[in-house]
Amino acid sequence: MTSADATQLDAVIEADVGIVGAGPGGMAAAVRLAAAGLRVVVLDEGQRAGGQIYRQLPEGMQNHGVIQEPPSHDAGHDLIQSFEGHAQGGGAIELVRGATVWDAQLGRLWFEQDGVSRLLRCGHIVLAPGAYDRSIPFPGWTLPGVVTAGALQVMVRGFGVVPGQRALVVGSGPLLLPTVTSLLGAGVEVVAALEASSRMRALRAAPSVAFHAARRREAMWYMKQLWRNSVKLQWGWTVFACEGDGRVERAIIGKVDSHGRPRKGTERTIKCDVVGAGFGLVPSIEIGMRLGADTHMLPVRGGHCLVVDREQRTAVPTVFAVGETCGIGGAEVARAEGDLAAAAILRDLRGLPVASALVSQARAERRAADSMLGAFAPLPGLHDLARPDTIVCRCEDITRLRAEESAAMHGESMRAIKIGCRAGMGPCQARICGPSLQAMATGVNTCAMDVPVVQVPLKPVRSETILNAPE
Amino acid sequence: MSGRVAGLGERELVVFTFDGQEVNAWQGDTIAMALWAHGQVAVRNSSSEGQPRGVLCNMGICYDCLVQVEGVAVRSCTTLVKPGMIVGRGGKS
Amino acid sequence: MVEVSDASVSVIRTGCLGSCGGSGRVLASKWSSCRLREAAFGMVLVFELALRCAAEAASSCPNSMTETADIVVIGGGIIGSSVVYQLAQLLDPSTRIVLCDRGPIAGATSSSCMGHLMVTPDNAQEYALTKTSVDLWRGLHEELGGFDYNPTGALYLAESEEDIEMMPVLHKQFLDQGDQAEILDQKQLCELEPGLARDIPGALFYAGDGVVLPMLAAGAMLRGAQKRNPNVVVRPNCAVTGFQRDGDRIAAVVTEKSVIHTNTVVNACGVWTPGIGEMLGQPRVPIYPRAGNLAITGHHVSPINTQLLEISYLRFAHAASEVDPTKTDADAGGHAVNMQPQTNGGCLIGSTRQFCGMNKQVNRELLKRSLLRAHRYVPGVAHAPIVRSWVGLRPYSIDNHPLIGPWDPVPGFWIAAGHEGLGISMAPITGLLIAQQIAGVTPSVDPTPYLPGRFAS
Repeated sequence: MTSADATQLDAVIEADVGIVGAGPGGMAAAVRLAAAGLRVVVLDEGQRAGGQIYRQLPEGMQNHGVIQEPPSHDAGHDLIQSFEGHAQGGGAIELVRGATVWDAQLGRLWFEQDGVSRLLRCGHIVLAPGAYDRSIPFPGWTLPGVVTAGALQVMVRGFGVVPGQRALVVGSGPLLLPTVTSLLGAGVEVVAALEASSRMRALRAAPSVAFHAARRREAMWYMKQLWRNSVKLQWGWTVFACEGDGRVERAIIGKVDSHGRPRKGTERTIKCDVVGAGFGLVPSIEIGMRLGADTHMLPVRGGHCLVVDREQRTAVPTVFAVGETCGIGGAEVARAEGDLAAAAILRDLRGLPVASALVSQARAERRAADSMLGAFAPLPGLHDLARPDTIVCRCEDITRLRAEESAAMHGESMRAIKIGCRAGMGPCQARICGPSLQAMATGVNTCAMDVPVVQVPLKPVRSETILNAPE
Repeated sequence: MSGRVAGLGERELVVFTFDGQEVNAWQGDTIAMALWAHGQVAVRNSSSEGQPRGVLCNMGICYDCLVQVEGVAVRSCTTLVKPGMIVGRGGKS
Repeated sequence: MVEVSDASVSVIRTGCLGSCGGSGRVLASKWSSCRLREAAFGMVLVFELALRCAAEAASSCPNSMTETADIVVIGGGIIGSSVVYQLAQLLDPSTRIVLCDRGPIAGATSSSCMGHLMVTPDNAQEYALTKTSVDLWRGLHEELGGFDYNPTGALYLAESEEDIEMMPVLHKQFLDQGDQAEILDQKQLCELEPGLARDIPGALFYAGDGVVLPMLAAGAMLRGAQKRNPNVVVRPNCAVTGFQRDGDRIAAVVTEKSVIHTNTVVNACGVWTPGIGEMLGQPRVPIYPRAGNLAITGHHVSPINTQLLEISYLRFAHAASEVDPTKTDADAGGHAVNMQPQTNGGCLIGSTRQFCGMNKQVNRELLKRSLLRAHRYVPGVAHAPIVRSWVGLRPYSIDNHPLIGPWDPVPGFWIAAGHEGLGISMAPITGLLIAQQIAGVTPSVDPTPYLPGRFAS
């Protein structure tokens, strides 16, 4: 959309229901609501529906089996088709692309789209903003070419770009597998795939996979892909450092103990030109907090999550939250919860009953996800990877040493660390450094980041966007 | 060297400049992805130390991929390329 | 503190249970040895639980730890940190100084404000205070460093006729104090600061002003203090809950972590200063919170290199308030431009003022006004990304002068607070005056107008 088009747009748009995020959670809610005849506006920062997990290529490109997809993506395609069906010209769903939400109050979502300040006025709000990769700092992680596991997925599945020739995949959790298979699909050599958890620990996830038909199918598919391409997942290994001149050229990898602490003497150097690091996911909760939702700390679910009732309603009656923002759970959880939230809204507005099957489906999916993720809870020892001179706050170029000095003088809270050295005060507002910073700086490895203080703008927007914000 | 996965179809060519160099991109690319496919993984200099930085999250969260477009700092991973766009390296010059 | 892990308790339990399994036939003989083992385990269990209870009891009792200090400073903001620093410089390094703050060091106003080092020429006494203080800042930068000190100077921008007429008045004020300033016309202004709008009639440039990052400065001062005096103790997350008295004097400061026996206490709590006095049964000192909205841009977007103020700032912000500060809902608030370049190339945009109690919600209308006026003077800021906005509470003293000195009704109790928008500027001189008065040394600047005793009746 060009700037010229954007200025023709209305500054204020109205909907019965406003949805943040066009991933599986947002799409499922939108489809059910649209089918019932409600006008739905979905705000997404990307250009197409799908979110992160079901990332689509740009319009006009198609993946006709070039990049292999796991079985679960069939359901994703169906959902996208359904969604896009309702979003065709004049349909009940309007997808607003490239929208960055920067403030939210009851019935109002302010966003910036292509430099234009716009407002969505709606009755109910469904929050499905998803999650982002948890980052663990290590020496050399700031080198160009070192990206998150999610970034590689976006690169390959979202743009058909080949990330490099020799890829190193590191981290912990189920997301390593799709990262590896996306790379293989793009013809990249995966030089190593390192899971920091021990095999023993990961076996705790086995029951939740073995007794769940869809997950079993999925797991078999991944195993087949890895076997076919001679890629072996190495358990209890991670990256110790990356090196290179202006971009990553090699990595030092090694073993970690059961707590994730690096084991000296196990180092090996491996040549690579791209590194994908994924140490789990962190829920995006800022919009919910701004709207008045409560949060709770669930380490298994990625950290601070929004609190919802059994029908996905937050403490604010017209605000619902689904999917990762209520705790990491994956696409099936998001979809079931999105469906459920939409049903609850339809009861609010039309008196239609909420089928108990929707409630039990959402609960079952959530339970299954929790039990699997339990095997991959964050390993506190990984915080030992960062050295005193390792940059831990990328926005402000703050080293671990400065963060520790700050904690020692100003106090052992996230806020105190920020105040003492400015870590977490840059444009990402501690999304990247926050989840690990407090634990690293205070040496209390189980120390979760304090609940973030949410300020407006929720994401950086132009000064004139705030100034011209419709009210 | 990076490049494009073959067999996904092609898009209209979009030519823009980055730091004065011409870059061939495709309609629908973000600036960051067009640059990555072109082999350019560093897009800015870090704010205090001036170290080379590029994409980290590729989904609009980390703000490590900031570049300058017509005097405005934007995330290269969420901003689409446009014909004739003049993109400058972000950050400390 | 002794910690007993839950794991060891459960191991004891399962060990006990495990050893008592077995079939009924051998149960009799196993039973007696099991019994012994059980008893042993039980005793260990009781012992460990007792230790745990004792430890918990000790840690939950606030008076479990007692200590002594020569001086206790309450409030770890820029003022408290400066007081500690100056005390450490002036007094013997064996002096035990404890600084307490209920939250992080520099966690309140000092991390929510603009770091403006402002010299005020309109009043000889205040000029002495601010000029000396800003000179001290330069010295602190040279000695300590690490707080983004930037001697930007300040441009007082004229817009209206009234502003234009004010410029020579302001100029004369500086000259009368023996200082220098320069009136710039439109052309000179554009040359000095190309980022400014082209239609500003003129400005006064004063080279003596500067910018610092106050929260870093607080840390730097405390590190400097500890370097000279290893008996300086900094205690964040340690609220003061009361006092013990010895007649009129203070005998001890009671905090949530310990009881600190001392006769000398400095109250540097900014907007919370009155509450500390009330714990001593004193009348409420007239310091009131005055909210200010701020916004900060992203890095490397600042179109300006100099600090900017508009001349009306002097009328609005610097003069005594025309609105009653004791009321919390009678002030619609106002704004006057104050913009500062930051070391990372960002720009800090202020400055609003509103009496609304302790309300720290960003006032949307005032924020918008703040951005509108910033765009007026610096058009390039319109496209700059705003990363964050927030509210800070300035401690406004009812007579627009800070309180720096002893609180006579309680011997040994000192107050250093109420600086409104000049807290950062005046931090070094405030710390110095308090330290000098405590040490019994002739103060560098006459503190008479600032003695808190003027409010003790």
